[in-house]
Amino acid sequence: MLKNNRWINLAFQLAALLLAVIFTTLILLAAGAPPLEAYKNILMGAFGSLDNFANVLVAWVPLLLTTAGLLITFSAGLWNIGVEGQIMLGAIFTTWVMRLLQDTTMPPALILTLAILAGMVGGALWAMLAGALKTFGGVNEIFGGLGLNFVATALTLWLIFGPWKRPGVASMSGTVPFDDRLSLTVFTGLRLSPWALVIAVAAIVVVYLLLQGTYFGLRLKAVGRNARAAFLLGIPTWQYMMMSFALCGLFAGAAGAMQVVAVYHRLIPSISSGYGYLGLIVAMLVNYQALWAAPVALFYAALNIGSIQLPIVLKLDSSLSGVLQGMLVLFVVLVEGARQQLMKKS
Amino acid sequence: MISDLFSTTVLIGILASGIRLATPYLYASIGEVFGQKSGVLNLGIEGQMLLGAFAAFYVALTTGNLWLGVLVAMIVGAVMGLAMAFVTVNLRAQQGISGIGFYLFGMGVSDLLFQKLLGTVETVKGFPKIFIPGLSDIPGVGEIFFSQNLLVYIAYLLVPIAWFVLNKTTLGLKIRSVGENPDAADSLGVSVARIRYFTIILGGILSAVAGASLSIALLNVFQQNMTSGLGFIAVALVYFGAWKPAGVLGGALLFSMINSLQLWIQVLGIPIPSDIAVMMPYVLTILVLVAAVSRVRAPSALTKPFERED
Repeated sequence: MLKNNRWINLAFQLAALLLAVIFTTLILLAAGAPPLEAYKNILMGAFGSLDNFANVLVAWVPLLLTTAGLLITFSAGLWNIGVEGQIMLGAIFTTWVMRLLQDTTMPPALILTLAILAGMVGGALWAMLAGALKTFGGVNEIFGGLGLNFVATALTLWLIFGPWKRPGVASMSGTVPFDDRLSLTVFTGLRLSPWALVIAVAAIVVVYLLLQGTYFGLRLKAVGRNARAAFLLGIPTWQYMMMSFALCGLFAGAAGAMQVVAVYHRLIPSISSGYGYLGLIVAMLVNYQALWAAPVALFYAALNIGSIQLPIVLKLDSSLSGVLQGMLVLFVVLVEGARQQLMKKS
Repeated sequence: MISDLFSTTVLIGILASGIRLATPYLYASIGEVFGQKSGVLNLGIEGQMLLGAFAAFYVALTTGNLWLGVLVAMIVGAVMGLAMAFVTVNLRAQQGISGIGFYLFGMGVSDLLFQKLLGTVETVKGFPKIFIPGLSDIPGVGEIFFSQNLLVYIAYLLVPIAWFVLNKTTLGLKIRSVGENPDAADSLGVSVARIRYFTIILGGILSAVAGASLSIALLNVFQQNMTSGLGFIAVALVYFGAWKPAGVLGGALLFSMINSLQLWIQVLGIPIPSDIAVMMPYVLTILVLVAAVSRVRAPSALTKPFERED
């Protein structure tokens, strides 16, 4: 009766969304905040104007890049919690190259390209450090990654307040902004860069093709499903794991690079903005299917940007979007479980 | 000055606060050991801690009764555990993702309640130090080990208790068998579902107490996201400690001692940039972990939902 139909799946996902909204409403009512007002604020904040929607896309870019990378490590069965730090190292390497080259006579396009590539390398190196700790040091990647995240945060702060501090006084607002000619072209009047969009979309397409259409992707998934069996079948297991870490780091590093060259034009303390953890959620929610990553990431970006308005209007801070995000994850999982039980019965 | 670091007073101070700082890790990690031994990965600790911390703080602030605060935190933790058990055991949800869902939920709700009910950071008079008669008078040792508050003592008592329950009781045997080979356990009449419900709820309660130990015994304040990654470290300490309560104790102590050292370095004004100092616990713990490669195997059925074959 209930076939494994795409539309039925979609209906279940919508049911999850509805349940999450109902529950969040109940919590809001219990806390004495007006729910309708809050939702209206989120919607308007995300889609109320071209400006706002452009900001949603600005957030979508690093989220999609991070998710693309995480799909690779998840395929290899790895919990790359260190992705947050990989974004930061990407931003640090990009800033470093920009600082080195900003006063040279090189064409800006070349400087930007080199800076972005440097960011990708930085992310990949940090990821490979987590990978090496796991493969050669026997350090679980959750612990190693988490530790490296803290180290990356501290490193960022040290650079901002130490060697790269603004002339005069160092501050939480970050390093000295780069010259205007050294930022990615943006759509007139908006903060959104077409180049950043192109890079993000290209990333998810590449990851989709890599995982679905190549021998490498197939073997990577074999490692993820059962590393021992894959090893016995002759797949060089640890090399594949390292490779997946490095690839994920490339994408995370690119996300960090975008934050520097297209959004903030400098290194700031919160340069990764939690996109790493959000990326983990998106990758898990789409059940590791690259195709779904784009719309789900867009939804989460909208939720994040939309709730920026809340503190000003309702004194609610972004906690509401946190509640809603948590609820969404839980209800998607819950509804998925219920769906599978139902299918078994029919 | 560096030499200040080696004066007796400072050394005692470092050790005493190291012992104290390990408290939340002990509660949370020991709860996680029970969960993982039964095959369940709880990544939602951080959320449970935050809700526990808020509940305990709010009750203690409004009623002035610290124990009532702990009790309410335990109830909140149990409810969170119950919800998690339902999602994990009955719906066989993927544990990593549902855990992160609970983390976000706990963080968001505690934040929301904080803003609606308190609004500003307040302090509460937390658990007082208890000087154990006789022992606390021993120079040095007394100040380090026997002049702590009650929640600290209980945390350390939990270590041998957890070891005993896991290794010397029928319940412990059932928990381990459910985590190693649920099919075999099931065929011998052990209810996999019931055991996992028990360990997940226990984990929820202990995580909430871990949160309470922060908000009404160690720091005596509640702030948004005050745990800042502590719950995830607690999960990591379980791997560090190779799923043994004593190993977890070692990891928690190592981590908090180094943390305490770097706090004191900052207090004494030793010229190390504070950003570098805060890295120390993580870097050194990772290094120790690398040096002591013990490839202990995780429980076989960890993260695998159980389904009886018909």
